[in-house]
Amino acid sequence: MQRKLLAIIVVVIIVVAAVAAIELTPKTPSTPSADARNIVIGLVAPLSTSIGQDMSDAAQLAAKEINDAGGIYVKDWNTNVNVSIVNVNTIDDAPSNAKTPVVQAVESEHVDMLIGGYGSAGTLANEVVAIDDKVPYIITGASNQLVTRRGPQGNYGGFGVNGANSITDSEGVSYIFHYCTTTYHYSKTVVDFFATVMKPMVAPDRNFSLAILYRNDAFGQGVDQATKYWIQNESLPITLTERNYDPTTAKTSGYQTDLTAVAASHPDAVFIVDNPDQTPLIIKQGWNEVGLKSVYIAVENNQDPTFYNLLGSTGDGQLLESKMDPFMTPSYSQVVQTYVENFNKTYPHVMPGMMGADTYDAFYIAKDAITRAGTVNKTEVRDAIENTNMNQMLIQTKTGKIQFSTGINYHEIDPVTFIEQLKWDSTNSHLTSQIVWSPSGSTNLKQANFTLPTGYQPAQ
Amino acid sequence: MDITAPTIILTLVWGVAIGCIYILLATGLNIIFGVMKLVNFAHGQLLMIGAFLTWSISVSLGLNAYAAIVVSMVVVAALGVAVERLTFRRVLGTDKLNEIFVSLGLIYIFENAAMLLWGTGSKQITSPFYGSSLSLPGISITYDRIVAVFVVIAALVAFGLLLKKTKIGLAMQATSQVSSAAMLMGINVEKIYMFTFALGAALAALAGGLYGVIFSFDFQVGAMPTIIAFAIIILGGLGSIKGAIVGGLLYGIAEQLATLFLGGIWGSAVAFALLIVVLIIKPTGLFGQKGE
Repeated sequence: MQRKLLAIIVVVIIVVAAVAAIELTPKTPSTPSADARNIVIGLVAPLSTSIGQDMSDAAQLAAKEINDAGGIYVKDWNTNVNVSIVNVNTIDDAPSNAKTPVVQAVESEHVDMLIGGYGSAGTLANEVVAIDDKVPYIITGASNQLVTRRGPQGNYGGFGVNGANSITDSEGVSYIFHYCTTTYHYSKTVVDFFATVMKPMVAPDRNFSLAILYRNDAFGQGVDQATKYWIQNESLPITLTERNYDPTTAKTSGYQTDLTAVAASHPDAVFIVDNPDQTPLIIKQGWNEVGLKSVYIAVENNQDPTFYNLLGSTGDGQLLESKMDPFMTPSYSQVVQTYVENFNKTYPHVMPGMMGADTYDAFYIAKDAITRAGTVNKTEVRDAIENTNMNQMLIQTKTGKIQFSTGINYHEIDPVTFIEQLKWDSTNSHLTSQIVWSPSGSTNLKQANFTLPTGYQPAQ
Repeated sequence: MDITAPTIILTLVWGVAIGCIYILLATGLNIIFGVMKLVNFAHGQLLMIGAFLTWSISVSLGLNAYAAIVVSMVVVAALGVAVERLTFRRVLGTDKLNEIFVSLGLIYIFENAAMLLWGTGSKQITSPFYGSSLSLPGISITYDRIVAVFVVIAALVAFGLLLKKTKIGLAMQATSQVSSAAMLMGINVEKIYMFTFALGAALAALAGGLYGVIFSFDFQVGAMPTIIAFAIIILGGLGSIKGAIVGGLLYGIAEQLATLFLGGIWGSAVAFALLIVVLIIKPTGLFGQKGE
């Protein structure tokens, strides 16, 4: 009897062990789907500009990292696949040049997703293709808020259904995601800084006089509108003088006459809205040629090597609104420091810019979304991006998470912005920066107090 | 906005300074057209190469920016010789469309070559006078603008002397009138063409160097100045150097005054409106003559 029982126990143990062994033995992967292929992402960028090159470098770096780590697992295909990049060169981001390459990418290259978009005017033109064809598009530049708010869910950006840029296709607009600061985000940071920090220093008993000099295109107009909105909406003690210029003419003939007119309005500070190849020239012409010894502030698209190189020593004491600074040593963020180091290993002697950083993050957002969606079906990927809840990467957000739908119907992140003051390092002959203000409610990133630039002349 | 007398004077100074650079470009374009009857749409790209070369020479050799401009002029003149011999000479005298398409093709070749050599980023030439200004009552003008004006005046005087007092200048004038007759008089017209193109290229390089000291530039900088230079020679009269000078100054001043009084988006519009008005009143331009 005991033998019989022992035999039964032995048989049971053998069977259990066999079953366990079968279960624990790594399964031979079932065959990947015959449909499996690389995921094709269209990088929308003005590749003949330094910013476009930065976006391209960052995109290539992200794709390489993702592919080296095994690619992206797509459940539908039961396998990991690599990311391929299709360059969608928008030349100079003029609306006339920016749309056709996107049409080609969507209709001929059959991209699974679009990432990029720098100039607002060009992106407003080319995102229509993504809207019409229902292709997920993570926009990493183009700060004009209309890029995500031009549909019904954004109340047509406040311009009504018949607005020049309004789009009634709510479903189509839902494929657009803005992984970037909008003009409304950073214009608020800029005017709040002046009202809170600089006004008490230079205009304690009167309104602060701010002049805005902007390029007359979708980018410049967007910043101007947002600046006016916040001054009015928050009843800030700021008097705003507005002036704009034709970017093509001014690029050739200079900004000195516009700056002369700005000087005649006696501003306490000058808000320059242009790109990194022109903003330094405007500041230099204003300070050195017109004699407008003021505080100049530029916005975050100028967080680029071109801006720092061209501005040189004239930048000492001037301001830059930003959301990510790769030039600060030591860096305010370990993640940013690591990115710069990895970037430099891949691209020796090339400094990364901020626009590339947005693009870099967007590739990981795409990876996360496709992995969760388990498919490259565009509608399901759109839904997955909408439900993104990743930890913040290079761009800091107010919640510490990357989320596109924080109580709003259009898809925007809520980034942390801050104001930096530039300092000329005469020993090493380059500009450095320090964070002098970040809005209340954000992570306190402040590193130093703001001081007026040497030679600053107050408004008279 | 307080528009005071110093503000207007300063604006006129800006107009003259930028006008001077346009004059150089237009003069180069004009002599090439005048002598060779060639319309070179890639002339602005020679300005661009001049600016980049000046920047490179200045940075790599540590040379004073203005000395670097002189070296750049020599190099661009040599490039002009090569361009004339290898491209335009092959199509000169054939269908005008051939010349136009050669020059349009050169735009892409020059721009892409510049992008490969110098990248896509903007550059600015560091001047030895950086940050220094001449202070006058109510206004201050940077030395670089003043130097630009005097360099242009000197270049134009030298150019005028070359045309009137030298054998090659007289030969250029003769060729510009009737090239076949000049040839019969023993003038080597092909050599004159080569010299003329080199001279025009050198003037474009000078314009580029001065431009690069005052403004930032990239590989696409040549396009708009070419359009403006064409507008100026049409305004002043095709083939007329005096017309290029007056046209350049008029254009620069009109553009800057319009910017001051009407706003930055009106600068070019008013300057081109002036061009249209002049052409309506005098279709040959201010100093142009019938048949040119």
